[in-house]
Amino acid sequence: MALNTDIEAVDDIFQEGKVVDGFVIGKEVHRGGMASLFTATKEGINVPILLKIPRVGRDQPVESLIGFETELTILRSLKSPFVPQFLGAGNMATRPYIAMERVEGRPLEDLIKEGKIFTIDEVVRIGADLAQAVQSLHSQDAIHLDIKPENILIDDKGKLTLIDFGLSHHARYPDLLAEEMRKGVGSAPYISPEQVAGIRSDSRSDIYSIGVIMYELLTGELPFGNPQTMSGLRKRMWAEPFPPRAIRREIPRWLQEVVLRCLEPRAADRYQSATRLRQVLRDPEGVTLTERADRVEPPSFWENLKGMFRAAGYEPSPSPRPSMGNHDAPLMIAAIDTRQSDEDLRDLMQLTAKNLLHAYPESRLVCISTISSTPTFEGNQENETASGIVRGHLVQLMDWAKPLKLPPERISYHVLEAMDPASRIVEFAKDNDASLILIGASHKLPNKVTPWRTSMTKIVEEAPCSVHIVRT
Amino acid sequence: MTERIGLFADLHSNLEAFEACITRAEELGVTRMVFLGDLVGYNADPAALIDRIAALVEAKKAIAILGNHDEAVFKDCRTQMNASANAAIEWTKTQLKESHIAFLKNLPLIVNEEKMCFVHASAYNPSDWNYITDSMSAWRCVQNSGKSYTFVGHAHEQALFYQSAVGKLIRFAPHPGDEIPVLQHRQWVGVVGSLGQPRDGNPEACFAVFEPGLEVLTFHRVPYDHFAAADKVRRAGLPEDLANRLITGK
Repeated sequence: MALNTDIEAVDDIFQEGKVVDGFVIGKEVHRGGMASLFTATKEGINVPILLKIPRVGRDQPVESLIGFETELTILRSLKSPFVPQFLGAGNMATRPYIAMERVEGRPLEDLIKEGKIFTIDEVVRIGADLAQAVQSLHSQDAIHLDIKPENILIDDKGKLTLIDFGLSHHARYPDLLAEEMRKGVGSAPYISPEQVAGIRSDSRSDIYSIGVIMYELLTGELPFGNPQTMSGLRKRMWAEPFPPRAIRREIPRWLQEVVLRCLEPRAADRYQSATRLRQVLRDPEGVTLTERADRVEPPSFWENLKGMFRAAGYEPSPSPRPSMGNHDAPLMIAAIDTRQSDEDLRDLMQLTAKNLLHAYPESRLVCISTISSTPTFEGNQENETASGIVRGHLVQLMDWAKPLKLPPERISYHVLEAMDPASRIVEFAKDNDASLILIGASHKLPNKVTPWRTSMTKIVEEAPCSVHIVRT
Repeated sequence: MTERIGLFADLHSNLEAFEACITRAEELGVTRMVFLGDLVGYNADPAALIDRIAALVEAKKAIAILGNHDEAVFKDCRTQMNASANAAIEWTKTQLKESHIAFLKNLPLIVNEEKMCFVHASAYNPSDWNYITDSMSAWRCVQNSGKSYTFVGHAHEQALFYQSAVGKLIRFAPHPGDEIPVLQHRQWVGVVGSLGQPRDGNPEACFAVFEPGLEVLTFHRVPYDHFAAADKVRRAGLPEDLANRLITGK
């Protein structure tokens, strides 16, 4: 179309010192195959600005433009603390650019190249943070599809930012890359088997990529190498990766279980949501160990052969809408008032929780209790110290949940410190992408005690999910 | 002022839906309107609807395009429609004055502007009333319109066909209210959905708003008093299934 003739002048428009739509262009900080990056300033914008300009022209591949368009569409729609803020864009046909927040941090790729050895704890933290970042996309119906160390920035404090949405998919916008089957869509070591098969709508692809990254950080190797051919790419549809513990003995069995589960060829066999992955990484006791945890030998010839037969008929699992991941495996929060002495209410809350958990076999329950604040000094008595108080509450929570008879991977307990319990509960629900908050409202509470009506109203008004109020 | 075009198709004599959509479009700051054909048929207010649209066209606030149901009023198309549709056309004829029929007869089959093409069914042989339902039919349409943007109705479900990386036109099911970037260097076919007889299981009326300057297309759904509209259909003695369609949206 008439695009290239106009585009020719792009290099003239974007030069240091020139002004485009109020953006004063600064230094060129990066020139890659697909795009150039410039710093910029603009009156009224107080964050550092980065302008991304696609490399277009006669000799440039058309993909660079489609990727740019895709990134523009998706970045503009996203609101996430793990994604650079979108600040503006120019006309695609005449002066294409995306203005975004210039985020501090270095690509994870640099650390890998420098030969950094990651401790087990570091890998677990990066994995959990990545899962949280990815969940913030999935909950907005977007899938990154190009999660790789190059696209992950880490700042001094360890905070992650995901960049480059040129290959991403958003369920609410047309997918310009749909049915694009040519090799090279995505980064060979990190893309999921279903991406190899041309599927771009499965949020569990991002979970696979997180698995590859954790594998790489733990072992220094890529689970399926860096294949350059289609048959090489297809290997991940059937082969079992070399067990990480066979490479690095100190990796805990539970972590091998988690990483290998992320790398399952069928998306339905992986963790179904990034939230779930984050939870298991943060709470290893909840991980159910299977034979994955025990693998120490490389897969045998026969096992590989069996896998190859299965892969011959490789059928990607149906992809649920990204934000629906949590609907099939909902996280429910039971807010329990440990001071509560209303036995009827206690029974009814337990029964309600039991019924809800029964309805969703993949659901999880988080029991929480709030305390006003813990003493800053350590007292003499166990029950006066901060840890003692928290422990006391935990014991009560566990006692509350005992009749539910849940396996450990379906339940966890948290004592939250908060001056304003309602806000803290809402915040906790947001952070964990909860689907439901279960609270009890007693008739037997003396009026003098805590303004619970206000709390209840606040939770109902501000909750990011449904609120189930149990009454007797 | 940036241009903001309200796109309405398959209005089918549904006055209640029409008024609700026009009100909403005005709230959204629409600067002009395009009625993409099938102003009449199926429902109970053909004369009132033509009067309103004719007034908008007269005031240069809108353009209107011919649809197959409009054509059926002045031309024998019985073999191309089902029994209920034909019954509704026969009834419609009894409701219209000479001036209404003259208005329909004068409607253009297709209107081309610099970047946009407006047509009821498809830019490919418009008078054959080809449905745009798949990649192939959308491709034929853009091949013939040659424009970046082609807006159609006829198929009652909202859809956006877009040119993907492989050149093929791919169907996208839009989510109401989402501003979809539709950049000019690609070809797009917007099927704006039926205002007067939605068929996707949702009784809310369909329309769309296109902002050429911003290169943004937004599909809308508007709730309206579909029980009242259905009641009018029944009282007019039109086939019962036409009334039920409004209630179920199917």
